[in-house]
Amino acid sequence: MNLEGLDISILAPAFVAGLIVLMTHIPLGYEVLRRGIIFIDIAVAQIAGLGVIIAYTLGWDEHGIEAQIAAVTSALIGVWILNKLESRHGKHLEALIGTSFILAATGGILLLANNPHGGEHLKELLVGQILWVEWEQLLYAAIISIIVLSIWVQLREKIGSLGFYMLFAVAITVSVQLVGVYLVFASLIVPALAAIGQAKKSGLSLSIIIGTCGYASGLVLSALLDLPSGAVIVWMIAISALLIKIAMPLKTW
Amino acid sequence: MSLQTSFLCISLLLPCVQVQAAINVFTCEPEWAALAKELGGDQLDIYSATTALQDPHHIQARPSLIAKARKADLLICAGAELETGWLPLLMRKAGNARIRAGQAGHFLAAEHIDMLEVPEKLDRSLGDVHASGNPHVHTDPRNISRIAGQLYKRLVGIDPDNTDIYSKRYSIFEREWQDAINVWNNQAAAVNGVNVVVHHDYWSYLIDWLGLVKVATLEPVPGVAPSTGHLSQIKQLLNTQPATMIIDTSYMNDRPVQWLSKQTGIPVVALPATVDYQGGESLYDWFKHIVDLITGQVE
Repeated sequence: MNLEGLDISILAPAFVAGLIVLMTHIPLGYEVLRRGIIFIDIAVAQIAGLGVIIAYTLGWDEHGIEAQIAAVTSALIGVWILNKLESRHGKHLEALIGTSFILAATGGILLLANNPHGGEHLKELLVGQILWVEWEQLLYAAIISIIVLSIWVQLREKIGSLGFYMLFAVAITVSVQLVGVYLVFASLIVPALAAIGQAKKSGLSLSIIIGTCGYASGLVLSALLDLPSGAVIVWMIAISALLIKIAMPLKTW
Repeated sequence: MSLQTSFLCISLLLPCVQVQAAINVFTCEPEWAALAKELGGDQLDIYSATTALQDPHHIQARPSLIAKARKADLLICAGAELETGWLPLLMRKAGNARIRAGQAGHFLAAEHIDMLEVPEKLDRSLGDVHASGNPHVHTDPRNISRIAGQLYKRLVGIDPDNTDIYSKRYSIFEREWQDAINVWNNQAAAVNGVNVVVHHDYWSYLIDWLGLVKVATLEPVPGVAPSTGHLSQIKQLLNTQPATMIIDTSYMNDRPVQWLSKQTGIPVVALPATVDYQGGESLYDWFKHIVDLITGQVE
């Protein structure tokens, strides 16, 4: 047991980062499950990363706004292509998503073949660790997430398939930099999965409870057990989902 | 509950199991924890962010890491951008003015020795990490001695009340360390001029100290796994310049060295990357182990 890390000023920014990520990822997660495109978040994150690597090899500054523009632009181009593919080859979309993931990942390796440390550095820029987040960073993420969420809630019927993919690309690019790929996947899929078979409203509250409990208990446990926070939170989201499903059998909500 | 009250609650929860030492020391790598222990003994409460089995280039963030950095009076790291992937983030999160760069509480070992492998020109294609030279400075005991001298001065500056204790411990350490270096120098005389292959340029200072001759590095550029083409080039090279051993670092993937060893029949010597401080090892034990492993290859 280690009580030293149990310091509200260390854990609070990370918890707020979790809430910001959940805010967009729970509703988008429902849509991802509905479409059956589970691994799209990982593919989009990788494509955003490839964008930054390309910008870097072209001599752009890897810090600051230039890299962010490169990341979002390539994520948007990536989902635009995936959306085109979906309308033509919908049946094989998951296979195409998987292929685009490995192409983006290995494309990055090839571009950085002679620049290992540049690669290391970029990886750390792109795949955030939840404990390192700062309030200032959270402010930007919160503003973007609120915009994404309100467009999704109010205009989802009008923006169509491409609109969903565009919102998704922006949300993922932001959240991966805050909390990393594993937590993005967990926040997107697990709460949405637990809500399957529930009525719309009760399903949503179930997802929110699972996500919030997962982040809160994961952070506290990682402090107490002195373990890496991101990985513990992933496990606690899954365990919260399992416990809540066991405690509350289907449709009693 | 305000911040102060929550702090108070947490500190009340903490039983008095550990007597609060005067000076909190946060080290990035275990070798500096071991050195601080030699110089400060019980005057210091020492915490090492990594263990001997971890690659200090990378680290997973844990809450306790930030908590320890927050209360540290002295930070000791290798520097030379070894910790560039995480130390700046940690320092920002800790917001501890005592250990900020330029303060007495900010001690980088690499700033106190003559660096090897400093690139002549800074080229983006070489990556941006080791622009100030090879950061693995602890692999030469003469560097340890120089760094100990500087660290001793720093400890006295931070905690002048205990100057006597630090002076006494430092002079004992320095005397014993020089004796040990002499013993190792004699023991390792046999390996002077011996050809070696290394996996990663981790042991450059050790090679310099013992007078080994590095004929090849398996990694074409630090951090990049060797390609098949590069490995066969090395194999060719070893036909004309035979080597006595392939030096590997314990925390690395040993497949490339095992491949080369099988192809060439040259034995692999896997050296522990650093002091197992958490396991109770001392700097002396670690260096003795390394010198034994290397001299063991030459009869």
